[in-house]
Amino acid sequence: MANQSSLTVPSTEQDDAVVLCPNGRVDGTNVTILQGAVRERLEAGQTRLVFDMVDLNYISSAGLRVLLMAARDLQAQGGKAVFCNLSEQIRQVFEITGFDKILAVHGNREDALATL
Amino acid sequence: MSTPAKILVVDDEEDLELLMRQRFRRQVRRGEYELHFARNGREALDVLAEMPEIRLVLSDINMPVMDGLTLLSQLEEIEANISAVVVSAYGDMANIRTAMNRGAFDFVTKPIDFNDLQVTVEKTLRHIQVLEDALASRDRLVALRQELVVASQVQTSVLPAALPVTEHFDVQAEMIPAREIGGDFYDFFSVDEYRMGLVIADVSDKGIPAALFTMVSRALLKAAARNHESPSACLYEVNQLVSQDNDACMFVTLFYAVLDLRDGRLRYCNGGHNPPRLICQGEVQEVPSSDDIALGIFMEHEFHDNELVLGVGDALFLYTDGITEACNASEEEFGEGRLDELLARRADADIPDLIAEVVGAVEEFAGGVAQFDDMTCLALRMNSNKPA
Repeated sequence: MANQSSLTVPSTEQDDAVVLCPNGRVDGTNVTILQGAVRERLEAGQTRLVFDMVDLNYISSAGLRVLLMAARDLQAQGGKAVFCNLSEQIRQVFEITGFDKILAVHGNREDALATL
Repeated sequence: MSTPAKILVVDDEEDLELLMRQRFRRQVRRGEYELHFARNGREALDVLAEMPEIRLVLSDINMPVMDGLTLLSQLEEIEANISAVVVSAYGDMANIRTAMNRGAFDFVTKPIDFNDLQVTVEKTLRHIQVLEDALASRDRLVALRQELVVASQVQTSVLPAALPVTEHFDVQAEMIPAREIGGDFYDFFSVDEYRMGLVIADVSDKGIPAALFTMVSRALLKAAARNHESPSACLYEVNQLVSQDNDACMFVTLFYAVLDLRDGRLRYCNGGHNPPRLICQGEVQEVPSSDDIALGIFMEHEFHDNELVLGVGDALFLYTDGITEACNASEEEFGEGRLDELLARRADADIPDLIAEVVGAVEEFAGGVAQFDDMTCLALRMNSNKPA
């Protein structure tokens, strides 16, 4: 099996929302780290999540699936997940797959927080 | 432990049997231990042959017929997972060392301190349990791996084994999964006498869940292709079906095209997949498509058909992102630039050679860095139109 790519998911609280800032690469080898970080927040009852992608270099389809799941789960609970600071490459992945039409994507963190 | 631990005591002293039964009567009554006895090594082997479920042997060293050290050597030869505890005179370090070197798990000294013996037996039984659990896990793992191998064969067998050979086109595909079973697939089939369907797809995530989703998507698309002429109508139908009750949020990016061999007309719909390449007179360009989305993420999406004409000599190259996102040791991606450059440089190559060169170039670029995504590519060149 492939070696695990490096990924950390530091988070901060800002304006009554939780900002998750995945750092590194998300792919099939480490997607459970991202999934765990999201689940932890959902289980703690937090319903407003910002995914700030400023430190994310790469995301595979396995990672996109986790983001979609987070958005769906939050929506079902009356909450919301928003996304910001996509690098050119990640924006391209969002555009090709159509995720930019399904997920709430914003320019920077302030814009994202303002929509919550 | 639910069944009693079967313990074989090997000693030529007759009173020991009585003493053991006396000292361990509580454990025997509670169904924790079951004691068996033998007078020497030879008898012990006979008992073990009859009761292969015995895992713990307590053995004296000095005995007639076959001594304890010889018994230990014999135990090593029969392939039972038996742990032995030797009982030896206090100070008989030479024999104790020999016994340990022959695989004994522990020892107790004579005269027997039954409290110490009790502790030693408990400890050895725990060790045996750990060993048995590990062996059971290993067996389960072996069985699981075997199932994966079979799953991998099933998955490979549903891909078109030999792509059709006709004078009108050449076609070749390659799929290299990152694990035993993959989340990519391609397909190539006749829609009718004049038209061929071609598909490339990539399911979110890898492994067994992805593989199941792969099989479903592939079958649904093939079924839809029989009902609808329009690729977008096919994708709409598949999307409806895979989006229902999709709690796991699985999705698939899928490019489906129908090629009319009479005039090279290619009708296609791109469901969120990397744009394929059109290789036309040495030039490489992206196959343009409407803004459609991956299947499984939004049920209400309306898909769109696009169209282009594949001239005689033109080629199509379809791929999954495992090709362009393959990384080398410095986490640099192979990228679309290198792919397009290679396709342009080898624009006139035979289709099987082109596929082999792309795969070869990606592997050389990765330079042994483990592949984390499935890699799939399919290429087709139009050689002539089929008379109507």
